[in-house]
Amino acid sequence: MVNIHLRRCLVILCCGCLMTACSPKNVVVLVPDPDGSVGRITVANAAGSVEIDAANESTAIRDAKTAPSPPAEMEKKDIDQLFSEALAIQPQPPVHFILYFEKDSTQLRPSSAAMLTDILSTIQARQSEHISVVGHSDTLGDKTYNLSLSMRRAAAVKQRLVQKGIDEAHIDITSHGEENPLVKTADNVSNPKNRRVEVVIR
Amino acid sequence: MKLAFRLMLSAAFFLCLPIIDAAAEELAGLVKSVEGQATLLRGLETEAVVPGMEIKMGDILKTGDEGAVGLIFSDDTVIAMGPRTELAVEDYLFEPVEGKLSFIAKILRGTISYLSGQIAKLSPESVKLVTPAATIGVRGTHVLIKVD
Repeated sequence: MVNIHLRRCLVILCCGCLMTACSPKNVVVLVPDPDGSVGRITVANAAGSVEIDAANESTAIRDAKTAPSPPAEMEKKDIDQLFSEALAIQPQPPVHFILYFEKDSTQLRPSSAAMLTDILSTIQARQSEHISVVGHSDTLGDKTYNLSLSMRRAAAVKQRLVQKGIDEAHIDITSHGEENPLVKTADNVSNPKNRRVEVVIR
Repeated sequence: MKLAFRLMLSAAFFLCLPIIDAAAEELAGLVKSVEGQATLLRGLETEAVVPGMEIKMGDILKTGDEGAVGLIFSDDTVIAMGPRTELAVEDYLFEPVEGKLSFIAKILRGTISYLSGQIAKLSPESVKLVTPAATIGVRGTHVLIKVD
C-alpha cells in the first residue's frame, strides 16, 4: 500500500522533469515527539483538508487545487530515506531550569542551589554554547530597583556557572525585572515564585 | 559642558539598554548547527550561515546540495532543514505575557523537520507551516515536510 503510494510519488516527480510547468508536490508526515507522544496536524488547501493524529501517518498534496490525499502510514525506512539529513542535524529541544531566590536577595534558595549540578551536567552533556540566564523579580517595590535586582540575580547565577568552568562567552544574561511574572500579581506584592532566574540551555 | 551633557546622555542610554532589550526582543531564534553550504537572506544582504547566528523575522534560509541547518527559536520551536531547502520565517511573535503569539514559516522547497515549541502549546491556531500546495496547522507536534 505504502509502496504503491511512494511509487506514484516517483512517477509524479518524473512528470515534473518532463513538463516544465509541473506543480510542486508536497509530502507531510506526523512523527512522534521526542517524549514519544503524538500530536495532531491539519493539512489544508482550497480543495480540502485532512486531519492526522497517528504516528507516521502521511499525506501527499499534488498542488494547491487538489485536496491532500487521505492519511496513509509511511514506513520507517521511507521516512528515513526522505528526511535523514534534516533529522540528523535536528537540535535537541532546549531545556529550562528555574532557580528561586530569597526575598530582595541574590541568594539562591537551598533547593535551587542544589539544581546547579543538574544545570552543569546538562550543559556538558549537550556541549551547549548557548546558555541564556534571565532574571526576574516579584512586583514588591520599585520597578527600576527590581530590574536591577533581577539583573544581579542573573549575574549571580552566571558567576556560579563560570566558577564551575563554563565559558563566560557562552552565557547570555538579561533582566526582565517585574515585567514577566510567573504568577500574575498586583503591583507591590511579594511572591516567591516570581523571584527567579530562568536558565535555558540550547 | 556640551561634552558632559553628551556623556550623561550616552550613560543614560547604556543604563536603559536592558529595558529596551527586554521590550523589543526581535530575535526569533538562533542557528544551532550547520553542515555544508547554507545562506541567509536578510533584506538585500546575503551571508553564509554559521552556528550561533541570530535569526530574525523575515529571514530566508537556503541550504545547498549537501547543506543542512538546525534552528532553535526563542519559544523552543526546533526546525531542521535538509539539503536544497528554502525556508522563510514569515512571522514570529513570542510575547506570552501579552498573549502576542505567532509562528508562520514558509517552506518553499526541500525537507523540513519541525518540532513545536511554546507558541504551539499556548496558541495552536497561531502556528502555520505554509508549503506551495497546502497549509499545515499544528498541535504540539513533530512534523516532517517535503516540498518538491
